[in-house]
Amino acid sequence: MHRVTLLSLASLIAPLALAAQQPTSPPAAQPTVPHDSVRGAIRAVDVRARTLEVTTGVGYALRVVRLQVPASVPITDRKGGSQGEPIKLAELKPGDVIRAAFGGRATGFVAYTIERVGRMESTP
Amino acid sequence: MTRGWIALAAMCSVAACRRPPQPGEPLRGLSAAERARFDSGKVVFDSAFTPEKGLGPLFNGRACASCHEDPVSGGVGEEVEHHATAFHPGGPGRACDELAALGGPVFQDSVTPLLRAALGIEKEPVPPQATAIAERTSPDIFGFGLLDAVPDSEILKYADPDDRNGDGISGRPNRFLDGRLGRFGRKAFVPTLREFNDGAFLAEIGITSPSVPDEGTVAGKPLPAGTDPAPDPELGAHSLELTDAFVRLLAPPAPLKQSSEARRGSAIFAQVGCAGCHVPTLRTGDNPIPALSHKEVAAYTDLLLHDMGPALADICFGLATPSEFRTEPLMGLRLATHFLHDGRAKTPEQAIQMHDGEGARARDMFEALPAADRAALLMFLKTL
Repeated sequence: MHRVTLLSLASLIAPLALAAQQPTSPPAAQPTVPHDSVRGAIRAVDVRARTLEVTTGVGYALRVVRLQVPASVPITDRKGGSQGEPIKLAELKPGDVIRAAFGGRATGFVAYTIERVGRMESTP
Repeated sequence: MTRGWIALAAMCSVAACRRPPQPGEPLRGLSAAERARFDSGKVVFDSAFTPEKGLGPLFNGRACASCHEDPVSGGVGEEVEHHATAFHPGGPGRACDELAALGGPVFQDSVTPLLRAALGIEKEPVPPQATAIAERTSPDIFGFGLLDAVPDSEILKYADPDDRNGDGISGRPNRFLDGRLGRFGRKAFVPTLREFNDGAFLAEIGITSPSVPDEGTVAGKPLPAGTDPAPDPELGAHSLELTDAFVRLLAPPAPLKQSSEARRGSAIFAQVGCAGCHVPTLRTGDNPIPALSHKEVAAYTDLLLHDMGPALADICFGLATPSEFRTEPLMGLRLATHFLHDGRAKTPEQAIQMHDGEGARARDMFEALPAADRAALLMFLKTL
C-alpha cells in the first residue's frame, strides 16, 4: 500500500518536474517571479510613458516607487467589493490605493500585476 | 520576629503592586516574559548610535531617548524637528504630497561628519516644492500601547465628518497611504505603533532595519558614496521587536488624586465642550497581551482629525489638511513643558486660548467662565 502510494505520487510529480524543466519564454517585459510588492497610494500616472509612481512606506519613513507598466501587465479593480474586473492604466488615478507586484530590471522596476484595492478617502 | 518581617514584606509587596505606575514604568499585570522584553527594549531605546553603528547620515537624534527623555525614557523632549509637505487642493491628484520623492516628510536637522564633508550641508535641505514647514515637538509616549490596542470601530464611532449632530465638532479619520485608519502622529497618519516605531528608526536616527531596509535619500538624491559605511540593516529584527515591546508596554501615568476643585474642573471640562474631542476614555479590544486587552484608557482623545483654524495650520499629511490636527491625548499632560503640536503654548491655558475652528466654541465658553471655574478646569488638567 505504502509503495503504491509512493509510486502514485511519483507518477504525478514526474510530469510536473519534466514540465518545469522545459524552456519557457515568459513575456519579455515581465519578470517571472515577483521581486517585491508594494501597497500604497498612486502619486502620478503617465499613460503615455506607461509608468506609475506609488507613495508607500513605514510610519514617517516614506518613499516613492516608480513602476514601468508594460501593456501586458494585468490591472484589475477590487475597489468597493469589485471582483477583479480588468481596467486600463488610464483608469488609475492619483489617490487610488493599489497593490502591485514588481521585479527589478536594469531599466528600473517593472510591474508584474496591479490591483486597485481602494482610495485614500476618509471612507475608502 | 521573622514571621513579622515576612508579613511586613508581603504587605509592602502588595502595596507596591497597587501603587499606580509612575512615568517610565511598565503596565501592571505583565508576565515575567513581557517584563523581560520591556526591560531589554529599554536598553535599545536608550542606546545611542554612532556613525559606525549606522547613525545617519541624516538624523534628528542619536537615540530614541534623545528626544523622549524627560523625566525618564519615554517622556517628553525639548527638541523641535521639521516636517514639510506640499498642499495643492483642487488639483487633479491628491491634495497632499508628503514630498516622499524629495526626502520628506521628515527633514532631518543633523548630518554625520562624512555627509557634511561630501555635501557641505548641516541638515537636509527642504525642497522649494514644499508649501509649508512645520515644527514638531516630542511628546511623551506613555500609554501608547493602549492607544494602539483601541479597535478602529471604537475610533470611528466618534467620527462625524458632516457634523450631523450640529455641535460644531466634526471629527474625521485620517488614512495611511494604503487606506488603513491612521492614529499616531500629530496628524493621525500612522496606523500602528509598530510602524511608527520602525519608521522612526530611519526617519529620526537614520537606522535601517528589516522593516525599512533602504537608507533613503538626501532631498531625493542618492547618498554620496562612502557616506554610510555601516552595512544594512543597521538594526536587527530582534532589536526592533524589543524596542516596540518597551514602547508598547509603557504605562500611562496614573492621574493624580483629585481635589474637590479638580473634580469640579473635570465636570466643567465636559460642560464647556472640551470632551467633544478630548473624549475622556477609550476602550481597547482583544489583545494578545492581557495588560492591553479590554482596558479603559483615560486618553482624553478621539484620535480623529479636527479643524483647528488657520492660525495653527502648517503641513498636510495623508488626508489631513494643514489646519486639521488629531486631538492630542491629554494623558500625562502634567509632564509636558510646552503645549500644542509645535510647543508654541507655554501653558495649558495658552493652548486652550489658541484653539480655533472646531475648538472655538469650547475656547469661548472657557474664556467666558468665572475665574474660579477656569482655575478649577486648569487644576483638573494638572492631575492628568
